[in-house]
Amino acid sequence: MSAASLFQARGLVKRFGGLLATDHVDLAVEKGEIHALIGPNGAGKSTLVNLISGLLPLDGGSLSLDGVELTGLAPHQRVRAGLSRCFQVTSVFGHDTVLDNLLLAAQAHAGSSFRFLSRRSAEKELMDTALALAETVDLAGALHRIAGTLPHGAQRKLDVALALAARPRLLLLDEPMAGMGPEDSLQMVALIEKLRAQTAILLIEHDMDAVFQLADRVSVLDYGRVLASGDVDYIKGHPEVQAVYLGTDTET
Amino acid sequence: MTQSERIAPSATVPARRFDAAGILPWAVFALLAAVPLIAPHFGLEYYVGFVRHMLIVAIAATSLNVILGYGGMVALGHAGFVGVGAYAAVALVEAGVGSAWLAWGGALAAGAVFAALTGAVSLRTRGVYFLMITLAFAQMLYYLAVSLRTYGGDDGYGLYTPLSLGWLDGVHGDVFYWVVLALAALVFALASRLAVSRFGHALMGIRDNETRMAALGYPVYRIKLAAFTGAGALAGLAGGLLASHNAFVSPSLMHWTESATLLVMVVLGGRGRRWGAPLGVAIWYTLAEVLKINTEYWHWPLGLMLLLVVFLAPRGVAALFERRRGEG
Repeated sequence: MSAASLFQARGLVKRFGGLLATDHVDLAVEKGEIHALIGPNGAGKSTLVNLISGLLPLDGGSLSLDGVELTGLAPHQRVRAGLSRCFQVTSVFGHDTVLDNLLLAAQAHAGSSFRFLSRRSAEKELMDTALALAETVDLAGALHRIAGTLPHGAQRKLDVALALAARPRLLLLDEPMAGMGPEDSLQMVALIEKLRAQTAILLIEHDMDAVFQLADRVSVLDYGRVLASGDVDYIKGHPEVQAVYLGTDTET
Repeated sequence: MTQSERIAPSATVPARRFDAAGILPWAVFALLAAVPLIAPHFGLEYYVGFVRHMLIVAIAATSLNVILGYGGMVALGHAGFVGVGAYAAVALVEAGVGSAWLAWGGALAAGAVFAALTGAVSLRTRGVYFLMITLAFAQMLYYLAVSLRTYGGDDGYGLYTPLSLGWLDGVHGDVFYWVVLALAALVFALASRLAVSRFGHALMGIRDNETRMAALGYPVYRIKLAAFTGAGALAGLAGGLLASHNAFVSPSLMHWTESATLLVMVVLGGRGRRWGAPLGVAIWYTLAEVLKINTEYWHWPLGLMLLLVVFLAPRGVAALFERRRGEG
């Protein structure tokens, strides 16, 4: 973990009453890297994502992205600083069309939203950004569908597209493959592989095939602590990791 | 990409250039503008004042629709803003201001300031807590007004000298009616435009999914506070107009039942819909008026009719019309 890491989390602590949900977690993500975070249910993965994105306040520790201190910033300020996230439970605007979803995401990062009288539909640049986002996640053919009526896999892609509108330098993906069939999972893996060129990624995922296929580095979280961190082979061979997480299902 | 070229036009250019929806506001405006000219011929002078009152309430309801309908903020203190505006206008008149425009401007500013201050606190809460805290602020105002001896306390306070409308004075006996109509139309146009603006889209996004909006990078709190302040300003303006209309103010303007009535009117008309607020106000006042003519116990049938509407048009009367147009 050099000082030049793109993203650094140092000594993150979160307590819920007497429970130490996040126990002095250090984490770094390098430029262009996909860093996977795995761990059994209840290990504190979602808590960690919420601490990093700012939805939960930290009880200790600090965060920085590209040299910018994120620790005290509100969630929307962290997004502006280049840290964008997706949600484990798909979080799109279900009553609006795919296009309206993308326009809303594009608007957040192109000029002020405190414009009260001019029609947004007249803004061509927003439209271009939205269409480009749709292309990226392969939803250009579904622009006028109501987002809530799309199949699960397509909604997850839309969720990713919303996060991409921020042109993030670090993208947090919270279990992007959750609830997906094999076909959709393959597409999502391909999408994440494609995004590698645009942004560093912190990937929280249960699907081990996907993790071992995508990750440059893997950290294992257990009881709120980082149990081990290293490349895929190191994690696969780590005895403690096998004991707590991979269990008898280890594929070698 | 050829794909983007194919898709963009249908999405940017409004699909309907010329249809009933475009003429409707102008038709309604013309009809309302004609009321003071036509009504006297049928001995219905009373209804000029009646419609004027409805137009003023429609301004307040439209401002509530911005925060309730577009913003999803269920506030139960909107009459507080109206009251602040009314008392601000009275205070200005008491201080020697003779111009209606100044008094109403003061009402608007007072509504904005009060909304900004209370919004800064109450918007840190959500749902039922938000409802309760907005109610609490309005109730504080109510009791403050009750205890204000200078302005008559519980008995209220009369405005005996009519305010000056500047060069409009003496143009016509009903010039105040047209001024109110113009202001109501302006507020309606503003709210309609807001709904398709960047700010409106952001506000509706917050209504639908606040967490996601923050994760998209939107300053959620600031956007809500701006909407709340703007709505407070317009409700304050309505209060100032109401003080002129009644030539009288009293604490009952701010009673929580007034806030509830505004809420009911907006929900009845269709929250978050362009015509929701004016339609709700029109239906409410017309029903109440018709029933009052026929029975002293008009609350009963009014309640029953409202129940009926809620069951038949849960998304408001305006939503019914939209669906019908969609089918046609």
